[in-house]
Amino acid sequence: MFEEIIDNYVRFLGSLTVDHFIRLFWFFIFFEFVRYFLIEFVVLNLWRLSRHLNRDIYARAREEFFFENPLISVIIPGKNEGKHIYKLINSLKEQTYNNIEIIVVDDGSDDDTPTIGRDLERAGLITLFIRNEIRGGKASAANFGLRFTKGKFIIHMDADCSYDNDAIEKIIIPFYVDKEVGGVGGNVQVRNYDETLVTSLQAIEYYDTISIGRTVTSYLGIYRIISGAFGAFRADVLDQVKGWDIGPGLDGDITVKIRKLGYKIKFEQDAICLTSVPNTFKKLTKQRLRWDKSLIRFRVRKHKDVLFPNQAFKFANFIAFVENITYNLILNFKWYFYLVDMVVNYPSMILNIIITNILLYSFTNFLKFVLYSLYRPRSHTQYSYFLIYIPALVFYFGYYLRIVRTIAYLQEFFFKLSYKDPWNPEKTSVHAKRLKL
Amino acid sequence: MEESRPSNIKITDSVIEYSGFTFLLIDALDSLNVDQVQYNNAVIIDGKDPDFIRQIVRRIRSSNNPEIYLKPVFILKGININDPFINRLCDGTIFSLEQIEFIIPTVEKLLTKVNDLKFTNSISFEAQMIEKTISFMYTCDVFDLEPVPYVYSGINYSYPILSVNFRQTEEYTVLDILDIAEREGIFESEYVDRVYLCSTCSNGHLTYREVCPKCGSSNSSTEDIVHHFPCGYVGPISDFKNEIDDQLDCPKCDKRLRHIGVDYDKPSVLHECKNCAHKFQDYNVKAKCLNCLTDNGVEVLKGKEIRRYKLTKKGELAAINGFVSTSKDIDEIIGTVKFDTFKTMLKYEIERLRQTEGSSNICAIHITNPSQVYSKIGSEVQKGLLKDLVRVIRSNIRSSDVISFQSSSTIILSMNEIPNRIAKRILEEIINMLKRLMSTAFKNMEVNFETNVMSLDYKLSPELHIQQLTKDFK
Repeated sequence: MFEEIIDNYVRFLGSLTVDHFIRLFWFFIFFEFVRYFLIEFVVLNLWRLSRHLNRDIYARAREEFFFENPLISVIIPGKNEGKHIYKLINSLKEQTYNNIEIIVVDDGSDDDTPTIGRDLERAGLITLFIRNEIRGGKASAANFGLRFTKGKFIIHMDADCSYDNDAIEKIIIPFYVDKEVGGVGGNVQVRNYDETLVTSLQAIEYYDTISIGRTVTSYLGIYRIISGAFGAFRADVLDQVKGWDIGPGLDGDITVKIRKLGYKIKFEQDAICLTSVPNTFKKLTKQRLRWDKSLIRFRVRKHKDVLFPNQAFKFANFIAFVENITYNLILNFKWYFYLVDMVVNYPSMILNIIITNILLYSFTNFLKFVLYSLYRPRSHTQYSYFLIYIPALVFYFGYYLRIVRTIAYLQEFFFKLSYKDPWNPEKTSVHAKRLKL
Repeated sequence: MEESRPSNIKITDSVIEYSGFTFLLIDALDSLNVDQVQYNNAVIIDGKDPDFIRQIVRRIRSSNNPEIYLKPVFILKGININDPFINRLCDGTIFSLEQIEFIIPTVEKLLTKVNDLKFTNSISFEAQMIEKTISFMYTCDVFDLEPVPYVYSGINYSYPILSVNFRQTEEYTVLDILDIAEREGIFESEYVDRVYLCSTCSNGHLTYREVCPKCGSSNSSTEDIVHHFPCGYVGPISDFKNEIDDQLDCPKCDKRLRHIGVDYDKPSVLHECKNCAHKFQDYNVKAKCLNCLTDNGVEVLKGKEIRRYKLTKKGELAAINGFVSTSKDIDEIIGTVKFDTFKTMLKYEIERLRQTEGSSNICAIHITNPSQVYSKIGSEVQKGLLKDLVRVIRSNIRSSDVISFQSSSTIILSMNEIPNRIAKRILEEIINMLKRLMSTAFKNMEVNFETNVMSLDYKLSPELHIQQLTKDFK
């Protein structure tokens, strides 16, 4: 049986012409390979070159930043995060940049977070601990914290993260490199990469798709989401956008709001933050359903005006949206179209097509992982650890994430399920839904 | 009063004579000479003002002379006095001098009981206070020392019999004295309450205030925090107020707030200090001492237990025979070890003898007439006497041997690794030297000693050794 499949496959490869190859693997060649490897690779090199050429500007910006020594306000909103806070505070105390104030906002915790927070405040380890007895959701907690900030820049952090000791310095410097920058996203990496298969796969995803992907989009001026785990903003810009709106997906939303005002958004690869990712497929599915729904809710619904010519029209924003919608939404469904195309037109070859696709994707994944290691910042672990997991990426990206994404889009398109997500309190979600926010 | 006075009552110069007893009648504070109390059998206070009565009672009961502080005290005109302090320190009330006959049995009984008592000059102030308290309790047949919530007390609770000796600002000392007395076995106690005292002056008159965590000011205002659901804006209610009407409008999305719980809620409050403009959610709690004005953080206040004390049999005997010293007093004498330490060392010595063929001894020196001795000399001289005793003993034994006080009249010492007969000889020499010392230092005073020496026996426990060593002492 197995030998028969191999024989059959070798014969298939032998009979494959260039035209035939393009016809059978058009989806991979024109979309996946071109967009996620060729263009990315070219842009990465351009980015590296520009970084090298602008190194003096960067060094001067750093000098200017340290000379000015502005106060930086760190907001850490969260519910029942008390157990994580000490580790986070420890990593903040080690920072190379020290003029920071730390504001922890407790969003109605029902564990011992208030006690821990008050203790840290009394011990002088944090500047301020504030609490809402009743949970209002992450946006309201962040906004509450924002009210107490005094800094020139605001950094939003998640309590379950920890930060490289130069992370704050690195995330602020882009504001001094380019005065039009309104927000900078930090590089989130996986702390528990060796916990389970799921966390290892996510670690690779964070390395390549997220970190490298954002480096590329940032260079092209179409970077569109400052991660809630580590994002820096100019205080005056946050004031103009009046803080965060209701989530889920509030980090992507505020990035769009800032872009609409005409500010640039940058990704800083060297500002590294470590986070713990979901360690089971069940938890990961829940997280990704939430993330993916926000594409429909915020790009397609709330901020669809970006796509139309109006007073606030910005070409970069338009491209960012189109790119995002094309590659995430349209191509997601186009893949099913490709699948149907193959099943209908080449039913006898379907097994060979699947095998070839798997080989093509695996080869590209290996190539990308190895090649991109030249463009990544220093890592907390050996890249070689991940090599054995690369073959599984085909199934992770190609099937698992694609299916989850499809379900999320359909749920949001037809049922607007993001408004029912318990991540946000219902009392606020009903208003968001009614007001189409 | 003249008209209603019975014919068999004689009053001369504020002294009432009746049935063979004399009563000092006190009706004015200015004319009171407390020393006069000792020349009479009892005191009658004629007055209606509780403050006046309190002052008189305090002056009598706080005297250091048992001839004064143990005298029966009665109140005339029997107004209803609710002051627990006065009630505990007085022996009764009469409504007119005609009723004087009713208090005669009480006077007789109290004076008889006073006659049972021997008074000694205690070594320390604490011992003096303990002796005074228990002798008073004994004469009144009071065996419980109850703490009374009392607004004039420096620690908010008063033990009238003991507290009367202290000014309000020093009243915390009462708790230390009772603690020492309990450790000496004079009292046993049970928990009643806990008080918190100023970290600087130990006063319990504290005023608790919520203050700004930054500058400590208690001058602040409070605002509700409002969360507007549709846009996620969170801020103090003043952010939402407009200048036109009393309605609330969201400063972020300009929508009008209509229904609490539906489109907005108030998840917390925010305080603003009017002194330093600091905004905060949790006050610090500070306790300001009304005595010394120290502003204490509540975490530095001294927590003290208020306990109910009961006189033990040992305490009763100490009341009768006099209470000379506390173990704290004799622990402070240089060259000695605490008695507990001595017992531990004895245990190890016995254990050592079990494994070796040595010969070790313990000796005891007992003053047979401590009451006589201590009652004739003041507390400083008593301490000096004990120090001299220790110095003489120390000069006759080796430095590896240890000395300890079992009580203020019994000294125990070890003499290890010498034969019993040598130990006896050394002890005789010590006694001779002590007698010579006493006769030169205290010419008019006879100090009698008893001694005993005992070889250590590894079959007996340390406690049994000490028991056998001291069992024949008077």
